[in-house]
This record gives sequence, structure tokens and C-alpha cells, in this order.
Amino acid sequence: MLGETLFTEADIEEALARLGRELAADYAGRSPILVTVLRGGFMFLADLMRAVPLPLAVDFLSVSAYGPEAGDLGTVRVLKDLQEPITGRDVIVVEDIIDTGLTLNYLLGFLQARRPASLVVCALLDRSVRRIVDIDVKYKGFEVSDDFMVGYGLDHQQLFRELPYIASFSRESDG
Amino acid sequence: MRGPESFAHPSEAVCARVLDFYRVRWEYEPTSFPIDWDAKGVIISSFTPDFYLPDQEQYIELTTMSQKLVTKKNRKVRRLREVYPHINIKIFYQRDLKDLLFKYGLRPEEAM
Repeated sequence: MLGETLFTEADIEEALARLGRELAADYAGRSPILVTVLRGGFMFLADLMRAVPLPLAVDFLSVSAYGPEAGDLGTVRVLKDLQEPITGRDVIVVEDIIDTGLTLNYLLGFLQARRPASLVVCALLDRSVRRIVDIDVKYKGFEVSDDFMVGYGLDHQQLFRELPYIASFSRESDG
Repeated sequence: MRGPESFAHPSEAVCARVLDFYRVRWEYEPTSFPIDWDAKGVIISSFTPDFYLPDQEQYIELTTMSQKLVTKKNRKVRRLREVYPHINIKIFYQRDLKDLLFKYGLRPEEAM
């Protein structure tokens, strides 16, 4: 069930403004491409790009996730590839949340193989306490704890993405 | 790839499957680290982390015991860090594993 609000709309707007300033300063005079992983990152991407006063391109990736049918899939794979070439471009991977780093580790290898000029990660939420594979998160909105979260693009069984804030979510079995 | 019977606990088999899925190379219990010695220098206690991820130079220790029963394992991990400060080790508790399975849409009883 939906729990307490962890980050309000104002908190998120403040983080977006800060990240926008950092990106604008670091990429001044350049035109990076923002790449996000569907589906969780779409809301953060949309707001972030409006907070960065630079000419930006966007593109999207989708990858399979471990789950009940993982045995049928074998290993992680890209379900939707980029539409834009990224060779020689500055690429910023925009993520809603990073916890184990497993998916992102795979994706960074996938993207690096295309020889971008640069490749960095910008995440709204970083749950580094759960990290299995170390990831360098250059731009970070908030460091977060163990709470399972929903809202602002984050889902539980595809629900709650529409919430304009981020809230904790508890499993009924924990109750 | 190992079968579930190769692991000491079903949770380790689940962890191995997740790592395989995400193409992360791993080794199972590759190293035992002496962590305590008696006055004569004889090893009296060792610790063998469950997994080693060579590309990340990272050890992982899983514990599915309830939180209140993990004191002994916490002590061993703490001691490992004291004796081998260059070793990178992470401990995953029962709750971490449950949350990971929850994220992947699995029930612990199905996965383990």
C-alpha cells in the first residue's frame, strides 16, 4: 500500500533545477543526447530536459528485466534500440532510480561499444546501499534508503507512475 | 552454469541466476580468508564470501537468516574488512534479497 511521501513536487523541482544547472555548465557549447530506459525514466527525462538550457536530443532504450519468465529469455537483452547514432556524441544516460546497477552496467557496456565521445549517468534517485555492480553516477538527485518507492515514473505492477511526487510503498505481506 | 544443487543455499542459486541474466561474471566461494589466528599464528577462523565478481573486484555475502541472527556473520565481515582493508565486500541480508525478488516480480517462495 502507498506510504508516506518521501519527495514532494517541490523537492523534485529543486533537484531538477540543480541538475539542470550542473549539466548546463558541464556541457556548455555542446549538444548532448539524453538516453533513457523505458519505462520508468520518461517523466524524469521530460522534466530534466526542460531544466537544461541547451540544445538536446533524446532517445530511448528498452531492455528485458529479470523476472518470472527470465528463464525463457536467457539473458538480458535490448528490446528497443536507439534510433539515433551516438558515435562521437556526448551521451547522458538518464535513469529514474539505480539500485543494484545490474541493468545499467549492461547498458553502459552496450552504449560504450558504439564509441560515444563521452558517456555519463544522471539519476534522480540513487539507492547505493543496494549496489551489486559499482556505477559512477555523475549527476544525482537524491540518495535514497531501502524503501520501495513509487510515483514520478516509478511503478508497482505498472501503477502509480502518474503521481507527481515519490512515496514509499509497502508490500501487503509485510503488514 | 551451475545447478541449484551446487550451492549451499537456494538463495545463492537465485543470486547466480540473476547475475547470469545480467551477464555479470561471478565465481562461487573462490577464496577463504583467514581472519583470526592464535598466539602461535595458527589460523583459528576463516571467512569465505559466497560470490566474487571479477570484473568489479567485488565480493558478495548473502545471508537469509533473520536480522537478529546475523550478528556472527556481521562480525566476520567486519573482521575481514579490518584484516583486508583493500577487499571490497557487500553483505546482502534477508530483506535485501526479498526486496530484490519483489522488484523482479517474484515471490521468495517461488524463487528459492
